[in-house]
Amino acid sequence: MNEDLSLSSSLADLTVLEIGDQIGDYAGLLLAGLGAEVIKLEPPGGSPSRRIGPFASSAPDPERSLFFWRYNLNKKSAIVDVDRLEAQAAIEKLASQADIVLLAGEFEAVERRAETWRKLAEANPRLIVCSITPFGLDGPYRALKATDLVQMALGGIMAVCGYDPQPDGTYDTPPIAPAMWHSYHLAGEYAAVAMMAAINFRELTGQGQFIDLSVHEAVNTCTEVAIPTYVYSGMVVKRQTARHAAPNITHARLSTSADGVFMLANLSPFEREQRALAQLADQVGIGHVLGTPEFAQLEKEDRVAAAVYRNDLLVEVVGSLPANEIFHRAQAQGLAWSPIRRPEDNLDDPHFQARGSFAAIEHPELGRTLRYPGTVAIDGRTPHFSYQRRAPRLGEHTEEVMRRAGLDDARIAALRAKAAV
Amino acid sequence: MDGERKAPRPLDGVRVIDLTWLQVGPQATRLLTTFGAQVIRVEWRDRKAIDFIRYTPPFAPDHARADGGRIQGVTRGHGIAGNYDRGAYFNNTNPGKYGITLNLNHPKGRDLLKRMVRDANAICENFSPGQMDKWGLGYEDLRKINPRIIYLQTTGMGKAGVYKDYVSYGPTAQAFSGLTFLSGLPEPQPPAGWGYSYLDHSPGYFGAIMLMAAIRRQRSSGIGCYIDMSQCETGLMLSGTSLLEHQITGKPTTRYGNRMPFLDWAPHGAYRCFGDDNWIAISIQSDEQWRSLVEEMGSPQWAMDSRFATAAGRKSHEDELDEKLASFTIGCDRYDLMRRLQVRGIPAGVVQKAPDRFDRDPQLKARGYYVDLPHSEIGTWPVEGFPARLSRSPADVGGPTGRAAPKLGEDNNFVYRELVGLGEAEIAELTREGVI
Repeated sequence: MNEDLSLSSSLADLTVLEIGDQIGDYAGLLLAGLGAEVIKLEPPGGSPSRRIGPFASSAPDPERSLFFWRYNLNKKSAIVDVDRLEAQAAIEKLASQADIVLLAGEFEAVERRAETWRKLAEANPRLIVCSITPFGLDGPYRALKATDLVQMALGGIMAVCGYDPQPDGTYDTPPIAPAMWHSYHLAGEYAAVAMMAAINFRELTGQGQFIDLSVHEAVNTCTEVAIPTYVYSGMVVKRQTARHAAPNITHARLSTSADGVFMLANLSPFEREQRALAQLADQVGIGHVLGTPEFAQLEKEDRVAAAVYRNDLLVEVVGSLPANEIFHRAQAQGLAWSPIRRPEDNLDDPHFQARGSFAAIEHPELGRTLRYPGTVAIDGRTPHFSYQRRAPRLGEHTEEVMRRAGLDDARIAALRAKAAV
Repeated sequence: MDGERKAPRPLDGVRVIDLTWLQVGPQATRLLTTFGAQVIRVEWRDRKAIDFIRYTPPFAPDHARADGGRIQGVTRGHGIAGNYDRGAYFNNTNPGKYGITLNLNHPKGRDLLKRMVRDANAICENFSPGQMDKWGLGYEDLRKINPRIIYLQTTGMGKAGVYKDYVSYGPTAQAFSGLTFLSGLPEPQPPAGWGYSYLDHSPGYFGAIMLMAAIRRQRSSGIGCYIDMSQCETGLMLSGTSLLEHQITGKPTTRYGNRMPFLDWAPHGAYRCFGDDNWIAISIQSDEQWRSLVEEMGSPQWAMDSRFATAAGRKSHEDELDEKLASFTIGCDRYDLMRRLQVRGIPAGVVQKAPDRFDRDPQLKARGYYVDLPHSEIGTWPVEGFPARLSRSPADVGGPTGRAAPKLGEDNNFVYRELVGLGEAEIAELTREGVI
């Protein structure tokens, strides 16, 4: 069977122009992973995201930003200063050929550009313009300044992440914004959802439209029970170490393996899981009373003491073996335990190798390949999101894009002289 | 309005059979109803089969009723089954969907599902791997019935691969993929991780993106597909630049709390304000912003220290800088300080808790973020909205039903009669036999 039902080229008929800063890179990456042609229109000095580290060089270098590399796979880069009048003819032509324009960044810049692109959309009514700004294009906060950290704070994720309070209930540690770049991840995923909805709408009606996405709202959607809990009960969830925020402080959950790795290991009250723990304890030769009439009696008389006993046993079991061994043994017993891995611990994991979860991307400037994450789903054999090309060098595709915009060599040279392309 | 033709919705005419439960699957289908798809939640009454989220507290208070609005109050024990239709979190996760009951352990139940698959565009599930195959309802089975079908399966590890039989919930996937590790203060402090199942949400968004790409292709070319969606792989996708940095430097990834190691931004963190567990996040991106902050603080002696005048200097004395800045913020009202700093163009924002976001946030209010939707048993309650405005096909979290979440089996009549086309006698018999 050699049919390819993967979605990796399902957007191959779409051209996306991406304009702006790091807020929008990930949204474009998602469309590029499904086959869309994504062209970054960068100012002569390069996109702001080229200045974000870490770098594959000892000093910051816009061609060696790992942030830029990671979030701009498969894309093309053309130097076009979209804010310069001289570039307008080229932009009009590009707009007439494009399906989606992504405008990302701070409010002032995006609002100004949105004005231009709304006009361009009059000539191409099929054009979808998607703006991504920290707070959306209207409302009292629209012009506030934000960073990933500030978005995670205002959006509510920080308040539910962090460490346990002290025994008296007060916190001596700050709320934590989980690293890294999750406000932009959320915005990018929702922008992709909205753009896919707009594309489907266009198939039905022939009409494009304007999308106004707020990073603030995207972060707000993603705090799980925090809002429903408050709305229905008036209770406010409290942050606690490496487990769900809840109105009460729940059992501490971290344990440590024999090789010093933190484990996510916990037991649900189900009988099945208690038997699984007993099996594990037996395997590693730790004596216990689980499953005995004595323990059944304790459970009846003192549930808290029984829970403490179980938890102590769990901690002892986890501490008896290296993390990976505990992981496989626990999973064999049907326990959803996992070591708290560093991301790179997965690079050579046989599971991800078997699934082809990493894309090996050639980096001629390094003389090597780098493995990028990107596959989030496969069709059984091949990835749905697929990445083959490293991020573009600044202006790598300017000529190609300008020719498509109908410019000949002389006009390209003239614009270059004015530093507009 | 009478006579006004309703604007088309992006997913008009799309029918999705939704066997998902908990969070990660329902998150994907929630986004499809938001854009007009007819999503039919298939559930069964058995305690073992019922969606755990249906009886996850808190619940609507006792006085909540079908024609009522939101009034907080007391909830007394209704028993587990008495709460199936009263859960706050369930109501927020499943608006706009139809709800039916169907017993897939009964052969006639499986036959009926197959019959529904014939007219469906997509089917979604997040059972333990292999469950659908055991029932004879796997992708290859259903594809024989409907070659156009789109099948989305979401599991922790993925259905293919060495760990395909491993058990994984959102927190497991977060721990395994590295997202838990990345969150928190530098070692030797333990990871702080996530205060919720982030990987029960993002893979849902991915599911929606892929389903919509697949629906578009299905509409134009009649091709379906199978999607083996893995929460752990989504976690890797979201691990930032850590994997690349490790490959370049060979060094183990580290945590850095709320600081910003990738830009010369400092101070950069959460600082305690006046009151009980009140905090403000401040990101200083430039020397100019730093000077504005110093001015706003009234130019205290410590801030004039030349070590703090440059980004490099602030970075290399960040512990001391944070301590000093906190000694200023502790005396400030958090919202007043946010306003004062923002007036000066400094990125600053209150670490908002749920009441701040729901009762106070003027931006969310102005944008109409929370949406009131009626529920057939507990009345009208707000649900979380969609974070973007679309000018021609606006998001509508109430979906085709115009309701919040369905009661268990609420739409049996409509779905079995109108959509599946069963007759009165047939419905009666299937009900008697414990199939629907």
